[in-house]
Amino acid sequence: MARLVAEDIAVRFGTFEALRGVDLTAESGSFVTLLGPSGCGKTTLLNVIAGFLQPSRGRLAVDGKDITALPPEARDSAMCFQSYALFPHLSVADNIAFGPRQKRVARDETVRRVDGLVRQLGLVDHAGKLPNALSGGQQQRVALARALAVAPGLVLFDEPLSNLDAKLRDQVRNEIRALQRDVGFTAIYVTHDQAEALALSDMVCLMNKGVIEQKGAPRDIYFRPRTRFVADFIGAANLHRGKLCGGAMSTPLGVLHCCHEDGEDVEICWRPEAARLGGDLSGTVKAVAFQGAHVDVFVSAGPETVRLQVPGELNVSIGDTLQFSVPPEGVIALEASANA
Amino acid sequence: MRNAIRIGLLLAPGVGLVLAFMGAVLYRAVAQAFGLYDFSGTSDGLSLAHWQDVLTTKRFWRAFQWSAYIAASSAVIAVALAYPIALWLRKPFRGSLILSAMLKAPLLVPGLVAAFLLVNVISYHGFVNEFLVWAGVWAEPRRMQNDSNGFAIIGLQVWKQMPFAFLLLSGAVQAIPDPVLNAAQDLGAGKFARFRKIILPLTTKAMQAALVLIFIGAAGDFSFQTVAGPPSVNSMASYMASLQGSEGDWNGAAVVAVMLMALSLFGAIGLTALVQLITRTLGRLA
Amino acid sequence: MRKSPFNTILSGLLIAVMTVWLAVPFGMALLWSLVDPSQAWSYPDILPPKLSFERWSLMWDSTSLPIAMFNSYSLAPMAGVGAVLLAMPTAYAFGRLEFKGKAVWQTLVLVPLIMPGFVTAIFFASLLFSMGFFARYPAILVGHVVMLLPYAVRILSVSFSLVRQDVVNAARDLGASPISVFRVAYLPVLKPGIFAAFLIVFILSIEEFALAFVVGSPDFTTIPTILYSYLGYNFIRPNAAVVALILVVPNVILMLILERLLQSANPAGISGKG
Ligand SMILES: Nc1ncnc2c1ncn2[C@@H]1O[C@H](COP(=O)(O)OP(=O)(O)OP(=O)(O)O)[C@@H](O)[C@H]1O
Ligand SMILES: [Mg+2]
Repeated sequence: MARLVAEDIAVRFGTFEALRGVDLTAESGSFVTLLGPSGCGKTTLLNVIAGFLQPSRGRLAVDGKDITALPPEARDSAMCFQSYALFPHLSVADNIAFGPRQKRVARDETVRRVDGLVRQLGLVDHAGKLPNALSGGQQQRVALARALAVAPGLVLFDEPLSNLDAKLRDQVRNEIRALQRDVGFTAIYVTHDQAEALALSDMVCLMNKGVIEQKGAPRDIYFRPRTRFVADFIGAANLHRGKLCGGAMSTPLGVLHCCHEDGEDVEICWRPEAARLGGDLSGTVKAVAFQGAHVDVFVSAGPETVRLQVPGELNVSIGDTLQFSVPPEGVIALEASANA
Repeated sequence: MRNAIRIGLLLAPGVGLVLAFMGAVLYRAVAQAFGLYDFSGTSDGLSLAHWQDVLTTKRFWRAFQWSAYIAASSAVIAVALAYPIALWLRKPFRGSLILSAMLKAPLLVPGLVAAFLLVNVISYHGFVNEFLVWAGVWAEPRRMQNDSNGFAIIGLQVWKQMPFAFLLLSGAVQAIPDPVLNAAQDLGAGKFARFRKIILPLTTKAMQAALVLIFIGAAGDFSFQTVAGPPSVNSMASYMASLQGSEGDWNGAAVVAVMLMALSLFGAIGLTALVQLITRTLGRLA
Repeated sequence: MRKSPFNTILSGLLIAVMTVWLAVPFGMALLWSLVDPSQAWSYPDILPPKLSFERWSLMWDSTSLPIAMFNSYSLAPMAGVGAVLLAMPTAYAFGRLEFKGKAVWQTLVLVPLIMPGFVTAIFFASLLFSMGFFARYPAILVGHVVMLLPYAVRILSVSFSLVRQDVVNAARDLGASPISVFRVAYLPVLKPGIFAAFLIVFILSIEEFALAFVVGSPDFTTIPTILYSYLGYNFIRPNAAVVALILVVPNVILMLILERLLQSANPAGISGKG
């Protein structure tokens, strides 16, 4: 159990600012994901929280206690490394037992934890092997088990499932979530996979160029993106920019309505699945991609191309003219991004 | 089958030649130690007489102990100096590159030149004497050359071999990825625990290799001994050379050669085991 | 990323110490080699009274130094070429083929490195003696080639293992003859390794003392044996200084070239972190 508060964390490497004032609160027992493009500073933030990097500014507190100056070995957190970082000279079981032994956990308790994790993560056949003899996915599970074995208040996951196949990934992901609920640790979880982030988290933090651009519950992030970056990064979004007058913006497709105050230069967006067939927007079908339950249709008018999601039964072909509409509650006005 | 022949043909000029040559040399040494190929022509045929001759000589045992002492001290000191420096230079910082290049510089200096340089510096009118006398530390120059403790030889061996140990050890230390050490720290291992449980076991092999190679090299030393060593003692190699060269006793020299190889072998095994033991014990400490 | 003043101070200090450690001996050697034969450099003088190149020309004219240099510098390139040629097939097998007992062979080829030099030298001499083979020059050449083969095999094995099979396959796929496959896929990767192997054998052959001393005695000289003769019972310091410099300076330059080559022969990735 640990409530983590990070305030105004900044990190520089030489002149490059990898983090530029990150604020983050992870409630005790919550599951927080960090999502963002490669190089946006996710690993760097985890390294600060774990204590490997001293931030050039800002403070960290766990349960109200300042831990900014504490060395990693004295913090109540464990990290599951992006590069696994297994100890090459120790067997799988010894790797997993390393943390409990360092923290002087009783011997039989250590054995119990190791056995339990080895079973849960499907490593029973490999417990005696050295890491080099394992596949990438197996190594990744050992790294996961090693971090969980310490039973810390805070677990930091750096893309822990990136090397597993789709099925195993699903299984291990559920395993992590169940363990987290049982044991109750706070999880900070880095991923590239937005579906994973939306499915797992209590809170999603979307990072961009060293800052958290938006954080909130998965639904908030999806349905109420605040900036163009967020709208674009999570799911697909159709974007328009122009003058909003009386809640209406005219686009090459027709007039879109939006519940937002007027402005000279406003950016709005809508999700492909918000479109309804029939209405006063229209364009020519440029491409069609059948996805089973639905069809992705790319419609263009003038210089703009938008993407619609329509029911799978609908039969459209390239060259058709499609009439559609977007209800005003499906249109979101965006703010200018802090770091364009 | 065809493949085996092909491999054999490929290996013949390289490994094959090396093994034929070294095998012939080794066979010759062992055979001569047991009385075969006696050039003096007095007797020919298997005999233990030469062992008897050599192993009852005081001078031989003195040389044996001396070589063992020099080799062990040189290996241990060189590694003891190189290891902390390799650890310290694991992460680059300002000046660390220049420093490691300078540490490796003696590798470029042939042993005989190193011996000359040392003798030149510590001789009666060498730099050290002149400097200390000039600085008023010593009233008059002292004799340091050919000291009876062999400090000059050990110093030379260390000077020459330390860079080699440094090369091996820093290779091993640098091959430990940062995240591995971070992971250990993250799981609660402090500085000393990281050293004992991660760094030491991961560098054991390199340390053993460095100790063994330096030991073997120093045990077979001839030139440092004859240039900078005390005149009253022989090293195994110089004793062997003097038996063969000035006394023409090839068979006696062969016995010394076999004993030198035995010394190298057992020294190597001993040092390897010692390192293993230390690593184990330190790793077990709670 | 903390900057530690401790590191900076300590490394500065050590660099200073190392400079003294390296500069003093070499400085002394240089000074001694320049002492003029007419005026000795003796005890109370801090510096030699008179400097000249007299000693160098004297050595050149009146000792066997020119012959020794000729011997050393003709043995070394031949040993280098010989070792590289003989090492090639084995290195190919080590670097590109899998076969039973490979690890054993790879260890066995290192035997000359752990055999004490004087044991090899004396019993090689004993063999030559039995065979009645008294031509010292070729004997020493053979000895150098065999004793230094392990270095060539090691370096070339790495080079061969760096040749990419897909490039070889692509060349063959495009219909290249064995010779052009070698030129296209092998040679560019092997070239630095070949140079490096040649250079290391060259350097170590120049430095080699035991074999040249034992097999060459009493009158066949190389640079190290001539240096040894000035170091032994009759320590002639200025002469030794001249020979020491002749031995060490070219080798240092060659070693620096070698270092460059080895770096390009082993591109990053062999000890990649991660
Ligand atoms: N030690 C370092 N020195 C200099 N720059 C660094 C260092 N570590 C990270 N960076 C830079 O900081 C930025 C953030 O790196 P970070 O590893 O946190 O990215 P990330 O979000 O984890 O990316 P990925 O998803 O690819 O893992 C990158 O631009 C990276 O180049
Ligand atoms: Mg990362």
